[in-house]
Amino acid sequence: MTEFDPTQLLQEALDRKAGGFVELRYHKKRSRALAVEKGRVETAQVTEHTGVGVRVLVDGTWGFASTDRVERASIETAVDQARAAARSSARARTERTEELPRTALARGRFESAGVRELADKPLAETLELVLKMEEEARGASAAIQSASAAYSEVFEEKGIVTSDGARAWTRLVRPEFRVSAVARKDGEIQRGSESVGATGGWDCLFRAHGPEALAERAAARAVDLLSAGYPEGGRTKVLLSPSLVGLLTHEAVGHTVEADFVRSGSIAAGKLGHRVASERVTLCDSGRSEFHDGAGGSLSVDDEGVPTGNTVIIQDGVLVSYLHDRESAARFGVAPTGNARAWEYDDAPLIRMRNTYIAPGDAELEELIASMEDGYLLDGAANGQADANGEFMFGTREAYRIVKGKKGPLLRGVNISGQAFDVLRSVDRVGREFRWDLGSGHCGKGQPAKVDAGGPWLSCAVVLGGRRA
Amino acid sequence: MSLATIPPRAAFEPRAVEQELLARCRNLTERALAAGAHEAETYGSRSQSIQVRFEKGDLKLTHVDDGSTLGLRVFRDQRLGFSSTNQADELSLSSTARAALDLASFARPDEHNRLPTARAVPVFEALCDPATLRISVEEAVEHGRAFVEHVRGLDRRLSIDNAGFGATCVAHALSASTGAALAETDAQIAFHVFGMAIDGDDVAGFHYDGDALRVRAELEPALLRAARDFAEVALGNLGAATAESYKGPVLFAPDAFVDVFVAPLVSAASAIAVQRKRSPLAGKLGETIAASMLDLNDEPRDRTLAGAGAFDREGQPTARTPILERGVLRTFLHNGYSAAVEGRASTGHAIGGARSVPGLGAHAVCVGAGAGGDRDAMLARLGRGLFVQRFSGTVDPASGDFSGVAKSARWIEGGRVVRSLKETLISGNAFALLPRIALLSTVRERLGGAALAPFAIVEDVAVTAG
Repeated sequence: MTEFDPTQLLQEALDRKAGGFVELRYHKKRSRALAVEKGRVETAQVTEHTGVGVRVLVDGTWGFASTDRVERASIETAVDQARAAARSSARARTERTEELPRTALARGRFESAGVRELADKPLAETLELVLKMEEEARGASAAIQSASAAYSEVFEEKGIVTSDGARAWTRLVRPEFRVSAVARKDGEIQRGSESVGATGGWDCLFRAHGPEALAERAAARAVDLLSAGYPEGGRTKVLLSPSLVGLLTHEAVGHTVEADFVRSGSIAAGKLGHRVASERVTLCDSGRSEFHDGAGGSLSVDDEGVPTGNTVIIQDGVLVSYLHDRESAARFGVAPTGNARAWEYDDAPLIRMRNTYIAPGDAELEELIASMEDGYLLDGAANGQADANGEFMFGTREAYRIVKGKKGPLLRGVNISGQAFDVLRSVDRVGREFRWDLGSGHCGKGQPAKVDAGGPWLSCAVVLGGRRA
Repeated sequence: MSLATIPPRAAFEPRAVEQELLARCRNLTERALAAGAHEAETYGSRSQSIQVRFEKGDLKLTHVDDGSTLGLRVFRDQRLGFSSTNQADELSLSSTARAALDLASFARPDEHNRLPTARAVPVFEALCDPATLRISVEEAVEHGRAFVEHVRGLDRRLSIDNAGFGATCVAHALSASTGAALAETDAQIAFHVFGMAIDGDDVAGFHYDGDALRVRAELEPALLRAARDFAEVALGNLGAATAESYKGPVLFAPDAFVDVFVAPLVSAASAIAVQRKRSPLAGKLGETIAASMLDLNDEPRDRTLAGAGAFDREGQPTARTPILERGVLRTFLHNGYSAAVEGRASTGHAIGGARSVPGLGAHAVCVGAGAGGDRDAMLARLGRGLFVQRFSGTVDPASGDFSGVAKSARWIEGGRVVRSLKETLISGNAFALLPRIALLSTVRERLGGAALAPFAIVEDVAVTAG
């Protein structure tokens, strides 16, 4: 990690290029990755991607340029290029942003836990762990044909300086670990996988389950799925696990309340102050790691220099806020929520989620199962997507039928779908246990973003895509 | 300062950029060898781009960029190490070489860890249209503005969430201790529109369209085609109702067909997947695994496709590769490592960029045309049932199980679209259903410039209505 304050260099360049709104963002991303499959080291790599992104507002129009040379002259040239790009495109912009309103901007140094710890941890030691976990997963059953394990860590260091007062230096680390096993029987192949991700150190990464447990679970799931049946399709009551609640909050609701989507006419447009969910639902997006440390999408300051906090989106079932960057906040007449994020130095910030969750209730999982007459318990998040009309889909890795309060055998995971607010209105019980469970995931919206999501167990109704229609 | 005195970007001269990049690759390779690597390979890329982004139909931001990255792969005592950097200073290059060798000092050895032998690469100069290279910021803004205005003018109910127009020039170079020294430049134009139709309280599902192409003269018709197709599908998404649950034939548009059936097939054709026993295609070379009308090729020498190029990520020459011929599995795809395991030559399918070790995959997937005519003829052949234009779901590449939402879906009666659908899920197993492909269309569509595929009717798909 850099031992000098990058904001000093940015401030010098900014002072020499003063005039109008200018935002300079130094971003150094150093990644280390190890991957093993069937005993072979597939990946042992270190990558660095460093530079300065420059965003300017000229003639009410944004221009962006970047340089991979972290030196004053190159940064100043990038400012000129960004201004030229803005001027060249100003006549094509109809709704101009003449000025960003004043807001509280971050100043100072912000360092997340785990940076030093992981930087000092020998990679050779971590590779031994990855090799061992892959070997354990592969040896868990004679049915296992192949296994893989991977560890990665991304160190991010940023300096953000703006012409209206931000001057922040941030550092964090995001480690991830994943293990996967492939089982085969009678020509059929099934795969089990487990992954965790965090913002923080080793303890944050393995807070819920140690690496051995993850390897064991991945192998067991691959083997068990070989003999598992399929759920029946159709609209049904379900118990969603914290990881699936995380997907629900992110995919089904979170995207529809990003202010850029709202302006385009998402289903959440015009619904502020309206009841959109059961009164049992309080849904938030936070730059902090609420309830316990390590949520994967944590950040202290966003990429516009706005300090992050906890944004309540739905309070007791009522939609109360969208997610904003500085420009959208100005247009909606509210304060920015610290949701402007850029993937790398050469990406311009977009409105993105951070750690999105439903607040816990008071029901124990056993109670939730016992009180379900007929439905499914679903667990294990795969991918997910949402639509402007609130229709979402996400994949589940395993399912269990529940009949008269009794949980049946494992069934294969399927995709579920529904309309976001309809599903939230159907929530009738909210669990007590809270977990961040999507820390190994990335959100894609033109550029990736590291996010996390979670919540408690949730009882609601969705459409299940079963094999028997 | 006036605009005229600040060139927004320097001219991109392909030959000069290639030579400079190749020299930097050679320098890093030599550093690694001098530092103790037994074999070393540096792959570099330098790109210059203009991206114009629109939100809600209005210009949001114009982005200019110029950057380069070098990726160094070393083997020492058959141990792998890889490091990459986008910094050009001496200290960064030394530290990149050192980092790769440090990793190689503790990675486990593998007897097949070696660079592929350098092979002659036929010249393939068609990737760089001078007119595409010369696109200016002003022209990019104007093309993007005109595209967005054209889409908006097609129907007032269309809402553009975001759209983009970009021009990118990328030079790739590779220098290896095997003697390989290669470079080429690719210049592409890419554009997209993403949005939906809104009619009163009816907010329809998203749709997107776009393309990537190299020849600037082909731009205008491509923009008009994308705008027209986007509008037709987005407007057709209005008034969505629920479908009927059934198990039977489903018509897949090319995009959905590739996502559900072709992508897992290509993934399973990876020789590494076969060698690691995670491919259901293991042991099936020469066997019929799909309906007899299905031909699948990788076409890296088809310059109309975005993935075209003269050499792969390891500097091996690319070539047309038949994967399936009349439903018969013909080839597994190899990179240098999988080829070494089997003592054969690579098929030129190392993929990836300068920021990671070479992977394995196809460059430009082409599914052969069938005899089913155009889209309307395929609808007529389906008669009654589901027409899926986009798939939003999960396909497990190992098992082939798929499950997801049919997007921009339509219900077909009497061979014609009768309504738009919502909350409709489809599921099945891609490998099990490959022999159940009943018909492929004669017409094929370019999928964002990345692939070429027809419409397909597939039997026995489970459809679940919400």
